[in-house]
Amino acid sequence: MNCVELQQSLAEIEDGSSAAQRAHLKTCRACSALVADLNLIATSAIELREAEPSPRVWNSIEIALRQEGLIRPQRASHSLLPSFSSRWGWARWMVPAAAALLIAVGVYVRQHSQPESIATKIAQPINEAEVAGLNDSDLMQEIAEQSPAMQAQFAENLRRVNEYIVDAKGTVDENPNDEEARQSLMDAYQEKAMLFELAMDRSLQ
Amino acid sequence: MSRRTVELVVVGVMMAGTLVAESHKELRFNVGAKAGISVNNTYGSISVRPSTGNAVVINAILYSDKVEVDSSQTGNRVEIQSHLLPGATADSGRADYEILVPADASVVLHSSTGPLRAEKLHGDVTLEGAGASVDVRDISDAHVHVRTLNGPVTLTNVQDGHVEVDSLSGEVNLYQVTGPLVQVVSTSGKISYTGDFGRSGEYRLTSHSGDIDAIVPENTSADVSARSVKGEVHDDIPLQPKSHTSFLVQKGSAFVGTMGRAAVSSTVVLRSFSGKIHLRKRTAK
Repeated sequence: MNCVELQQSLAEIEDGSSAAQRAHLKTCRACSALVADLNLIATSAIELREAEPSPRVWNSIEIALRQEGLIRPQRASHSLLPSFSSRWGWARWMVPAAAALLIAVGVYVRQHSQPESIATKIAQPINEAEVAGLNDSDLMQEIAEQSPAMQAQFAENLRRVNEYIVDAKGTVDENPNDEEARQSLMDAYQEKAMLFELAMDRSLQ
Repeated sequence: MSRRTVELVVVGVMMAGTLVAESHKELRFNVGAKAGISVNNTYGSISVRPSTGNAVVINAILYSDKVEVDSSQTGNRVEIQSHLLPGATADSGRADYEILVPADASVVLHSSTGPLRAEKLHGDVTLEGAGASVDVRDISDAHVHVRTLNGPVTLTNVQDGHVEVDSLSGEVNLYQVTGPLVQVVSTSGKISYTGDFGRSGEYRLTSHSGDIDAIVPENTSADVSARSVKGEVHDDIPLQPKSHTSFLVQKGSAFVGTMGRAAVSSTVVLRSFSGKIHLRKRTAK
């Protein structure tokens, strides 16, 4: 087994534990270092797992991407997606997860940079106030789980910031060329984004 | 045993219980110039003041054995974390921190309940907390970033700062805050600015439904633009009108103009959707 074959074989047997892999690793310092690095990443990724948002957040992003037609439902068998349970599964998920987040943000920015799409979507103000697949019920569920004492405060502020978004969108709709109205809409979304960030604040338990 | 004696015994027992549960912890770290200090405290206050040397000194009061202080130093960076143990509540998990840092250190403070306080520093200061009240004073040449859900925010004597405050429903009060950028965004909290808007900065105070008050001395120089979509605007100071504006100035809902000397003026933008905007002259006491 040479270096290329070993790296290809790592996709199937992830930790270099097959006989052929072990034989190559004994003689190749570069591949040994690679496997050691991958093991370190896998270990670190497992530790990161506790700080990950809940599966609902990933589900929401997946649903949003599916609705946009950017991804298709997977087949039940022969999944190409890495398993969360496999040793390096979390490390492998980091890149697609980051890409999914970027795409979701891109979709969001694209939607809000086109006046005509704003005009057509104003009819659904609450849905529009949802940011990148993260909806209000997700937020409130996170708060209920992490900090139930602050549930009422978050609910009230969520209501207010949604009103802000609806009003700001209404102003943009009336005056699509008004730069200040657009700035106001951006401020409103920024406030909502802050609400989500505070809800996932690392100081909250 | 008299009733008074019984009362004294009960109070004594309660105090003893409190003293047993409460514990103090002191930590010291030596750091270099422009160190980074991060403190993350779930329940309780954090107060930061300058130290005399290059030491970071942490004094923590822990209110029960349900909370511990985790600390680490990596190079010039110190991280402090309140670690809640199983069963901790807002009361038993509370920790209060008094922290001394070199004046040029950058400080990041998190607490969901607060209060958060930073004073007499000239490194960057970031304070965040959902319900935490925030008090920042006597800061110069620094970035000051504050984010709260409903905690009130007070900034006093912040000079040459790059100031950004975001609060959803907390009241925001700025006293003598100047710098190249001073920006406040609030959803429903009231925003109040008292000061002279410096000499050449950009001041942007924005709210959705909260009122905005700007109280300025007579010698202030600034280009002011105020607009409330559904609220009222009031202007107690005569402004030199502008010939060109980016929006239609409707009396009662907007005003635009220059006060003082335009050549040395700052730009002041006051915006609200339904809140009331009031520009007024500071009266001598």
